[in-house]
Amino acid sequence: MKHIKRALKIHRIFMAQEFKRMMEYKGDFVVGIIGFLLVQLSNLMFLWIVFTQIPNLAGWSIYEVVFIYGLSLIPKGIDHFFFDNLWSIGFFIVRKGDFDKYLTRPINTLFHVLVEKIQIDALGELVMGIALVCVSAPGIEAEWSAFRIIAMIFMIPFVTLIFTGVKTITSSVAFWTKRSGNITFLFYTFSDFARYPATVYNRFVQNVITYIIPFALTSYYPALYIIKGENPLFNLGMPVVAAVVLMGIGIFVWHKGIRAYESAGS
Amino acid sequence: MIHVENLRKEFKKTVKDPGLKGSLKSLFKPKSEKVVAVDNISFKVAEGEILGFIGPNGAGKSTVIKMLTGILTPTSGSCTINGKNPTQNRKSYVKEIGVVFGQRTQLWWDLPLRETYGVLKEIYEVPEDSYKKRMAFLNEVLELDDFISSPVRTLSLGQRMRADIAASLLHSPKVLFLDEPTIGLDVVVKDNIRKAIEHINEQEKTTVILTTHDLADIEQLSKRMVMIDKGTKVFDGSIAGLKSKYGQIRELYFETDVKNAAEVLGYAEHFSLSSDDLSVEPEGNSVKVRFNSSIVPVSDMLSYTLNKINVSDINVKGADIEEIIRRLYEQGVD
Repeated sequence: MKHIKRALKIHRIFMAQEFKRMMEYKGDFVVGIIGFLLVQLSNLMFLWIVFTQIPNLAGWSIYEVVFIYGLSLIPKGIDHFFFDNLWSIGFFIVRKGDFDKYLTRPINTLFHVLVEKIQIDALGELVMGIALVCVSAPGIEAEWSAFRIIAMIFMIPFVTLIFTGVKTITSSVAFWTKRSGNITFLFYTFSDFARYPATVYNRFVQNVITYIIPFALTSYYPALYIIKGENPLFNLGMPVVAAVVLMGIGIFVWHKGIRAYESAGS
Repeated sequence: MIHVENLRKEFKKTVKDPGLKGSLKSLFKPKSEKVVAVDNISFKVAEGEILGFIGPNGAGKSTVIKMLTGILTPTSGSCTINGKNPTQNRKSYVKEIGVVFGQRTQLWWDLPLRETYGVLKEIYEVPEDSYKKRMAFLNEVLELDDFISSPVRTLSLGQRMRADIAASLLHSPKVLFLDEPTIGLDVVVKDNIRKAIEHINEQEKTTVILTTHDLADIEQLSKRMVMIDKGTKVFDGSIAGLKSKYGQIRELYFETDVKNAAEVLGYAEHFSLSSDDLSVEPEGNSVKVRFNSSIVPVSDMLSYTLNKINVSDINVKGADIEEIIRRLYEQGVD
């Protein structure tokens, strides 16, 4: 309990630093917000054009497709907002020897890296995801029981960890290879498959995004239960298991990696 | 207090042929070789001691410091501070140490300096009242007041270094590691920083380990120095000890009307000195001769010179520490 309290406090302090940092450059911040709104607007228009052209997709109604699409953006956005700093590990922190700093401070290095930065752009995905879910839900013929809604909300932190776990594993590779940003990018790209119902893909892709790089677990499978009430044990249980396993592997590889870290000449 | 035992660090280095072709070849057929950066180094440091680390670039100083600060994991051997080991319990180990890398900063680049200290206070769990006392003390020693409200990016290098040293001392560490703390600073700022380090060492019995290329840092601060070359310890002792061990070099300087005095004198042939033990630098009317006084006594050198040519001014100097180190770096240690 004491540890959690301290972790939350440090997280809050780092967040505050980030907001102060953004406020330090007000012009950049304002332009960033305007740019972010424009990007979201164009995304929305694109979606509207696409989805109005297709009445249904592999047996899924337009509302259901939009729901799954929106649901996939929420965990992705949360991970992107809070834990974007992992990308820097793979691209330059390790390569330039800047990881030294984390190792000389008395807090868990992975935690420190995760909470150090926030990425304000991610609000786009988050807002968009929530909006799409809210807009599409009334059009879906499902039993909207309280339990299903609670289940949906309960799943979000876990499926977020699927993203964070994959990023942690691939970023840790940098401790050995010095640079692994492109590996993270490759795996992260698979999350695009999660936007659409897994049944639109062939068997092979389905298996990959379910069992190997399990981004289908972040949105499609939970939605299967929420919309159709199917197989809660797999559709809700599997994402939780995957989140715990991936994050567990991530933490393990990270700490192995630290021992292989070579810093950089100075 | 600090025990370093048989510390060793190996790196694996990928060997590539030059150019794009070499890079491609290495991609498909990687070759690597083992590089020993630090080889079996042992030493002890007592509480309150200031230890200076010197050695040429690439000698392994930073690698040693990085193992002592828990950044690098040793290939073998160990280092402990008060019995704590960084590879076993990093978090409690780093609470006892403060680290400054002259070439990097741990300050929040975009924010006023004060913000950095606020965050470090939480990271190191410094209670509010000791934090206030600590800041007052650091303010006094390092004179932070002038720029504590300025964003870090606007600080001069000297101010940034003071700020970084303060940041590393906020949690009252028992050991302070300084990796090139005076790099790139002007003489006055260097002096201020040395005085501050000295002051903190005296006031709080903080053990200090510093690496530097500026020997004045070591001469002013530490009684003891460790010299590293090619990953091994080549000297461990006082500066006076180093001078008496390697300081047999003397510098003879004279002015004369004789042209080509250096050739006329022909020191090398006359005393049969090798280039290790003799260097002659004629410069206009004057000549500078550095020679090993354990082979040719100063009196012989003087009488030979005075008998051979007319000299209008002459003096002999003992080698300074810079000179000794320069020779050691160039020739290695026997």
